[in-house]
Amino acid sequence: MPKCKKSEGQAIDYAAKLLPPAEEDPFEQHLKHCQDCTEAVEAYRAVLELTDEAQEELVLPELALQNIEMNVYKRLAATQQEQTLLTRIRAYFANLGSPFGWYKTAAVSSMAIALIIAAVFVGKPFQPQQTLQLTEAQSADARIEQYRQQGIQRNLEEALITQHLRNDAWETESQFYRMKEQAQGTNWTKVADKHLQNLQSGNPTLQ
Amino acid sequence: MDKLIDDELLVAQFQAGRQNAFDELMKRYKSKIFSYLLRSVRNYEDAEDITIEVFFKAYRALEGWQPKAKFSTWLYKIASNLAIDYHRAKARNPVYALEDTEIPEAHLVATDLYSDPEKQLEEKERGIMIREAVDQLSPKQKAVFMLSRYEGLQLKEVAETLDMAEGTVKIHLHRAVKRLQTLLRPLWENNEI
Repeated sequence: MPKCKKSEGQAIDYAAKLLPPAEEDPFEQHLKHCQDCTEAVEAYRAVLELTDEAQEELVLPELALQNIEMNVYKRLAATQQEQTLLTRIRAYFANLGSPFGWYKTAAVSSMAIALIIAAVFVGKPFQPQQTLQLTEAQSADARIEQYRQQGIQRNLEEALITQHLRNDAWETESQFYRMKEQAQGTNWTKVADKHLQNLQSGNPTLQ
Repeated sequence: MDKLIDDELLVAQFQAGRQNAFDELMKRYKSKIFSYLLRSVRNYEDAEDITIEVFFKAYRALEGWQPKAKFSTWLYKIASNLAIDYHRAKARNPVYALEDTEIPEAHLVATDLYSDPEKQLEEKERGIMIREAVDQLSPKQKAVFMLSRYEGLQLKEVAETLDMAEGTVKIHLHRAVKRLQTLLRPLWENNEI
């Protein structure tokens, strides 16, 4: 802690390389004559180096990072579909017509009750229309599928690399199972099954 | 910049209907935003969820976005606000805080199998102590410190991100560094550095 209070903020800024260029030279001149500030700069610099080093080691989970885009589009698709339904309900009630007090309230209430009953007994009463929002939702769906396909292929590549380059049977099997799970509903599951069968029968010859 | 198209140009392309431009923006910033949030919330699952929320919010707001500040600054602002909401919710719900699982140290510290195990343990303990010291800063000090030191934002950008005057940012940064110096003093006193 410098006794030369006047320069304490400058000492931190200098250590953090945040001192404006115009103040740099005068402060360096000051440092030549001020032991307190010189020690303070060294101490602050050491603190900053320590904290920087400690945080540089942070490792991000690769799998979570790979799925960010797909999860964003999933979130968008879900919200857009909800919004389409809500928009239609709101639009319906807005167009009810009568501007008069209790007639409108009664009509709205009756319709709301009728809609709830219809939703329960008939199923989904509101099929989304071909609106702009739906187009966006479809776009989001297309992107989800695109990222899913990329994910499947990435898992397949990783499994093959693990098998042939790292020769790790357990990890290879896990990766094929992961790929199969991700590929549900596509032909990729057959590919995964074939690799798993070969792996389990001890046949290393894979396509 | 390369190679690379400016972020702001990508935003303009997105606004003109080119969906791929948003994918490119996500690709550019997902690691940065994830690591920023991971440092802030110190929990992998929560950091991942909030990262998704950041891009979700960005997507929905990007249509009307005006380039008053850099796109990256705007993105950090969304992330920073969500991190504040997260910490508030956590403070309000102590049960949630108890259930919180911290980042396993193995994920934070690069492990070198060939190094001395005792030294490795010391390094690990030192790393924990330093990160705990950063966690003990006030929320504003921590936000300023992280954005400035770890995310490499200029003071002006930190000010825009956190809705503060630049002078206030500096004050928080000075206080943060001084507080860290006090908290990490045992490392000096024990000659560990």
